[in-house]
Amino acid sequence: MKKLSKLLLTLTFALSITSSAFAVTVASWGGAYTESQKLGYGDPTAKALGIDINWVDYSGGLSEIKAQKEAGAINWDIMDVFAMDTITGCDEGIFVEFDFDKDFPPAPDGTPASEDFFTSMPSKCAVGNILYSWNYAYNSENLKNSPKTIKDFFNTKRFPGKRAIYKSALTNLEIALAADGVKMGKGGEFLYKRLEAEGGVDRAIAKIKKLCTDPNGGCVFWSAGAQPPELLMSGEVVMATGWNGRFFNATIGEGAPIVQVWDGQGLDYEYFALVKGGPDEANAKKALAMMTNTEMLAGSAKYIAYAPWRKSSIAVMEAGEPWYKDGKTNMVPHMPTAPANLKKYFLVNADFWADNSAEIGEKWEAMKAGL
Amino acid sequence: MSSETQKILTTDGIPLEESLKKAEKKNKIKAFLLVAPLLLYLLITYIFPIGDMFLRSIDDKMVTKMLPKTFKAMEQWDGKDLPSEEVFEAFYLDYRILVKEKTFGKLATQLNYEKNGFKSILKKLARKQKKFEEGNYKEQIMKVHKRWANVEYWRAIKRRAPNYTYAKYLKGVDMYEDENGKIVQVEESRRVHKKLWFRTLEIAFFVTVFCFLMAYPIAHLLATLPMKYSNLLMICVLLPFWTSLLVRTASWMILLQQQGIVNDFFVWIGLVADESRPEMMYNKTGTYVAMTQILLPFMVLPLYSVMKTISPSLMRAGKSLGGTPFVAFWKVYFPLTIPGIGAGCLLVFILAIGYYITPALVGGASGTLISNQIAYHMKSTLDWSFASAMGLMLLLGVLAIYWVYNKLVGIDNIKLG
Repeated sequence: MKKLSKLLLTLTFALSITSSAFAVTVASWGGAYTESQKLGYGDPTAKALGIDINWVDYSGGLSEIKAQKEAGAINWDIMDVFAMDTITGCDEGIFVEFDFDKDFPPAPDGTPASEDFFTSMPSKCAVGNILYSWNYAYNSENLKNSPKTIKDFFNTKRFPGKRAIYKSALTNLEIALAADGVKMGKGGEFLYKRLEAEGGVDRAIAKIKKLCTDPNGGCVFWSAGAQPPELLMSGEVVMATGWNGRFFNATIGEGAPIVQVWDGQGLDYEYFALVKGGPDEANAKKALAMMTNTEMLAGSAKYIAYAPWRKSSIAVMEAGEPWYKDGKTNMVPHMPTAPANLKKYFLVNADFWADNSAEIGEKWEAMKAGL
Repeated sequence: MSSETQKILTTDGIPLEESLKKAEKKNKIKAFLLVAPLLLYLLITYIFPIGDMFLRSIDDKMVTKMLPKTFKAMEQWDGKDLPSEEVFEAFYLDYRILVKEKTFGKLATQLNYEKNGFKSILKKLARKQKKFEEGNYKEQIMKVHKRWANVEYWRAIKRRAPNYTYAKYLKGVDMYEDENGKIVQVEESRRVHKKLWFRTLEIAFFVTVFCFLMAYPIAHLLATLPMKYSNLLMICVLLPFWTSLLVRTASWMILLQQQGIVNDFFVWIGLVADESRPEMMYNKTGTYVAMTQILLPFMVLPLYSVMKTISPSLMRAGKSLGGTPFVAFWKVYFPLTIPGIGAGCLLVFILAIGYYITPALVGGASGTLISNQIAYHMKSTLDWSFASAMGLMLLLGVLAIYWVYNKLVGIDNIKLG
């Protein structure tokens, strides 16, 4: 049975391999994001190294690469993944482990790669690509007062109206505790200490439940990144958590009256991982090292408001302002890692979520079912 | 009488019986070869994947093989208090090998399914165990992280001892087998799967009912109108069919949200006050409306094809025999449409039970269904055995409904056209 299903999988994937035989294939999320990757560093790297880089879309998670691996017909070289997936993929032996400072070039001033990146990597198989923010925003036309802090997001007296929050517990628990008066600590370490302690998760879930059942409040749960700006524009909600790049697009790209609040933002990350035994592992490794150097990483921020992982890339952007592709918008203030936006923030703790997401997910769904 | 004279021979001198058998056999092989591609197709795309799913859902050999010494030592342990030094030592010895072979991550993933919080303490142990001194492993392991002194974690390891397990099926209904071998419910704040099963069934049931109520008159109209109009109407039914599911879902969001077009209209004509706009989106109402519209053609088409074959003279006959229009409809027309109703309802119900993109987008807090959980475990946690178990439970549910339908109506009584 096992063998037969293996054969079947092989057949399926053999059929799905098309012209990608002699090129490095990168699996990413598609849309404007992949476009920014392709224009920002994919094409320049391909040109410099003289190899083809193919971009294919996938919808996240490790199920596809796991199936490819089980079938023995891997056709992706590099994957754009979440922190949790790099941990699981590393544990499962799907990705290559890096020798970080050897595999990745130092910053132009000689700082080794491991110190140039914003934080350490969640696993040995990950190299940072972009940082994005889970912050919240409001429509300035629909609110008389302007909210300033994460506590205001939960303050239904001063800011009555519905809130849009992410459909699962990720980052919602963190902001709930922060708004409930828990000190953040450096990079949110106190938040996670509290969440790991007895009753911490329940306290956070109770805070969200209170917001959602408040007659002056109420929740709309969003699942697609395009929803928060849309919900704000239609007036369906007065505040919405969301991804900063989406809010940026609505404000700068479409001129919408949406204002972002950076207080209590959660910094989250995208990583590249190198697939073990991919079709062209040697070239993929070379391409990956080049795509994540200082200049190249800064390139993608020309097209999208996500921050490059390397601190040295910010200097490149500052020197080149206005950096945004429209030729008039300064990009650095819109970066989640800009100093002005980093006064109160937490780093999404991938280890915590890899450890606990299943059980928290059950509690979270049980709470939602009781609304 | 000898048997020789009894046998009828063909012209070649072979007994007729044998000759016939030979010819039959050839025909049989031919017939089999004709259906072989279909059989093979069914086997490859249906029987094997389901078999594979089943094996995945119960197979637990990997963990058994990873911790052989531990499980042997655990046989003596009653699961009440912390296990003895021997278990700790056996676990340390097993784990040391896994760390050396770099496969300990797989164990961490597996044990984390059983009890959350394993991943980080196993990783910590992998780092710390290199400096372990000989002897007194219990104390050394417990010093790595306080969770190692929690008996729950050791019970979780013991639960993974057998080669095969039905634990994933229990988990699918919020139960587990405790250390005494009794099957008990998980703590109350984590009971979610049962709720999701009921919600999935509830939504599928009501969507089927709504689809039926709306599709019956439409199909009747389609079947009785002159060709000229019925063709146009048919296109109206099919048009949404050709539009992307996401586009249709998003359109409903724009129409029905509180600040949406429908509510704006209600306020404008003075039906509701501006402050008390009804909520029709991001709740069950939204799910029902969007899913009913999306699945409506699956009900209309089988109904239409059955109604088309019912001669209008039957209704006339019923009326001429003294029945009121309603009686004629109820006694004559309706029973004749039952095969179409059966086909449509089964089709819609089975499709609805597996829906998850639309509910996730329009359902708000109630938008999580059992299929969302399956997708979550397929993609995020990579717990494919749990996903398989839930997939099979869903399949069994569908088969059960099919069985009930067969008992009530009879499966021969189903017509798609």
